Amino acid sequence: MDMKEQTEILSPPQIELSLTINGTNVVLQVPPTKRLVTILRDELNFTGTKISCELGRCGACAVQMNNQLVNSCLVMAYQANGASIVTIEGLAGEELDPIQRAFLEEGGFQCGYCTPGMVMAVNALLATNPSPSDEQIQEALSGNLCRCTGYGGIIRAVQKAISNNNQEI
Amino acid sequence: MIETKKKKIRPDGPGKVTGALKYLTDLSFSGLLYGKILRSTEPHAEIQSISIDQAKQIPGVRAIVTYEDVPGLNGFGLIFPDQPVLCEDRVRYVGDAIAAVAADTIEIADEALQLIQVEYKKLPVIVDPEKALHPDAPKLHPDGNLLHRAYYSKGDVEEGFQSCSYIIEETYELPRQMHAYMETEGGVIVPEADGKLTVYVGTQHGFKDRYQLSRILNMNESDIRIVSSPMGGSFGGKDELNIQPYGALLALATNCPVKIHQTRRESVRAGLKRHPMKITMKTGVDESGKILSHKVRILADTGAYATLGPAVLDFAVEHAPGPYIIPNIEIEGLSVFTNNGVAGEFRGFGGNQVTFALEGQIDRLAEKLQIDPIEFREKNLRQVDSPGPLGQKIAPTSGARDVLEAIKEKEVETTNESHLSDPWKVTGTGVAISIHGGGLGVGRIDPAGGRLSFTKEGKIEAAFGFEECGQGLLAVIETLVIEEFKCKEDDIRIVVGDTDSVPISGSSTASRATSMVWNSIQRMKETFRGEILERASRVTGIPVAELNMGRNGVWLNNGNLCVSYAELAERTLNEPLLNVETSFDFPVSPDAVVDGSHFLYAFSSVLARVEVDLLTGKVKVLDLDQTIAAGPVVSLLGYQGQIEGGGIMALGYSLMEEAKMENGAYVNDNFDTYLIPTIQDVPFVMNVEAIEKLQEGDLYGPRGVGEIGTIAVAPAIVKAIHDATGCWVNKLPVSREFLLEQMSTRGEKRWI
Repeated sequence: MDMKEQTEILSPPQIELSLTINGTNVVLQVPPTKRLVTILRDELNFTGTKISCELGRCGACAVQMNNQLVNSCLVMAYQANGASIVTIEGLAGEELDPIQRAFLEEGGFQCGYCTPGMVMAVNALLATNPSPSDEQIQEALSGNLCRCTGYGGIIRAVQKAISNNNQEI
Repeated sequence: MIETKKKKIRPDGPGKVTGALKYLTDLSFSGLLYGKILRSTEPHAEIQSISIDQAKQIPGVRAIVTYEDVPGLNGFGLIFPDQPVLCEDRVRYVGDAIAAVAADTIEIADEALQLIQVEYKKLPVIVDPEKALHPDAPKLHPDGNLLHRAYYSKGDVEEGFQSCSYIIEETYELPRQMHAYMETEGGVIVPEADGKLTVYVGTQHGFKDRYQLSRILNMNESDIRIVSSPMGGSFGGKDELNIQPYGALLALATNCPVKIHQTRRESVRAGLKRHPMKITMKTGVDESGKILSHKVRILADTGAYATLGPAVLDFAVEHAPGPYIIPNIEIEGLSVFTNNGVAGEFRGFGGNQVTFALEGQIDRLAEKLQIDPIEFREKNLRQVDSPGPLGQKIAPTSGARDVLEAIKEKEVETTNESHLSDPWKVTGTGVAISIHGGGLGVGRIDPAGGRLSFTKEGKIEAAFGFEECGQGLLAVIETLVIEEFKCKEDDIRIVVGDTDSVPISGSSTASRATSMVWNSIQRMKETFRGEILERASRVTGIPVAELNMGRNGVWLNNGNLCVSYAELAERTLNEPLLNVETSFDFPVSPDAVVDGSHFLYAFSSVLARVEVDLLTGKVKVLDLDQTIAAGPVVSLLGYQGQIEGGGIMALGYSLMEEAKMENGAYVNDNFDTYLIPTIQDVPFVMNVEAIEKLQEGDLYGPRGVGEIGTIAVAPAIVKAIHDATGCWVNKLPVSREFLLEQMSTRGEKRWI
């Protein structure tokens, strides 16, 4: 390792990063390549966003960035500059979000570690498609791995969220 | 059936769906340092030197520890401590730890790891357990390469085979499976001001971690506190120590809290896996379809260190006869050290491997006999009072027959009529059954217990030394306490997973926690209720006979609230704390002669329907329905989740998952190459049926269901593939290439 490289590790260059997280503006100094998941968890203590594979396969770190579902382990600070981020902590107001309620009632989780990412993915699906078909549910959630439930409870939770949604309309 | 019971929201649910729940890897403390562990680059080598001088120079590195810094025993292992905490002179697999670093940031710790120089002298790498047993093979441990041999026989198998009309002899090969819990191993280890140490790291047996750490750190057990819940999954994989010793050594060296959270690749490299096994079975039947003789040889690749390898092998040997009555049996199991990754505890515990082989034999024999596989099973099935698989007395159960009956009805309803327009696809159905023992088994230290208290705040406190791994322990405790005392959720305080505040309950393994919580509450309930009512009577002057426990407090027989729990607590503040404790051992067979054999068993039957694409060999599971006989359902969502989730984990085992090793190195070490089932790979609807009945006089209550849902899935899927294609598969995961080759040699439609 040369000296330059070591210096960059010990005191990396910083950029000013400006974000909106769950409706609140945040400005912080971070290295431009710092991952969004690390910023959320370590700098801002939004630990509802989880970390598992760190290569964009499992969806445990899924958040919404400018209304798009993204794996926050694949987003670097400079890419998120100026973005509006919604994490799992931003979903519930006074009351639980109906999707969260459906997950609770139908057993859509066990260990719960994939749940924040899974709920964000369901939220992203239903926001654009309130009555998805079975195939569309499978498609939309295929980027979120769950090792506990076998997806049975998750499927029932999504179906319940959909039918509750439709009843409200 | 199962749907009729009331669903209940889990106590830990709101925190999980909102992301508010702090997992132990989410914790942060002031002055936190980050730890990293240097693992071996060689699967087998002598260490000639370790130099940390250069790494130490990096600003921000706070401590580097090597074998020289282990104050106590430099070894760990649940049965015997043969795995070095930090290797001194030899490495035996690529997960062996050589040094650990604490630094201000993860990046600095990573840099430091790269500057630690280790000189290796490579040694021959043993990757094949057969070769490891060769007398000339290099010895991986002082006693050689055989970790454990387990043997059982009754009757005379050779004589038995003489009387057989048909004999099937096959060798089955089972892969190394990853637990793939979503939360990798990690947490924070905190040195306390009073010299004690708090370890916030997930495990399945906090007291065992405390014991192992006390040996390594040379500290009193009472000076170590283990906080072990919640966890993002474990499935057996976090029962053994993982990062705890390194975090503890670094925390003590720096006097700062140290966080270690392994990356997925670090986790795969160091962590446990399911034992790869090669199982040869020779099974013979007479003309009438009675199994006469069953000879089994199991060869397990246990990897570099022991951990629970001996117990896993014992379990496989015990379950090799399954739920069948066979007069002549001989089973030999060998668990062998290699330079592959360490294999250890994993949901199913050796039962998955041996049941795949056994049910494969049963289906092949039924084909030979040209009788229905279910009818063949019925002919040989255990009865209510039959002895256990190794001849031991067990709690009477009709479970085996009940699950088979249930699946028979389901099979009638299922047709193989394919409505697919695609002529290149075929469908098939398969059925398999299993038996699975709960608890650690006879001859093993297997304590259980719990505590009920009435707190100063007026809460009914239920404390158990179990862990919430995700399985739903908290829901089980809450449900059982409410059922017993008719109180409501808010009246209860549950304490688990903290060695400073829970009684000894044994491990959260072996499908034992639910069963032991129920048994503990049965033992404590009368005393606890009596004391509560006694106190209420003293405070109010109303006779005990007119009082009952209920929601919010103690009620009068006439339906009016007599005194709330809060008020009762306030008015009895001066009295000694109401505390009821129990401790007992997990029930074992009174006459078992083979170590580890069981007394309480659960049963399952699985119906699988698959679609096979004749062009690509792809197998899709269309239906995966299970019937479970494990006593009463405690927590509906938990039960269903365990069976469905276990079933899909086993679907992965059948069709997708293998942690491949080449020359002692992992080939697929993350979810981009090690594929676990996604929502696209599972049947959209799965049916779980619970047979809740127990024999009259059965005092043991609900059996655990943490493992049973994983056991009989693979043989059912493989039988369904046979039904669809005519191909028998002996090796998991099912290879598409193998299927295509088989189908083309059998004259089926050819690859274009």
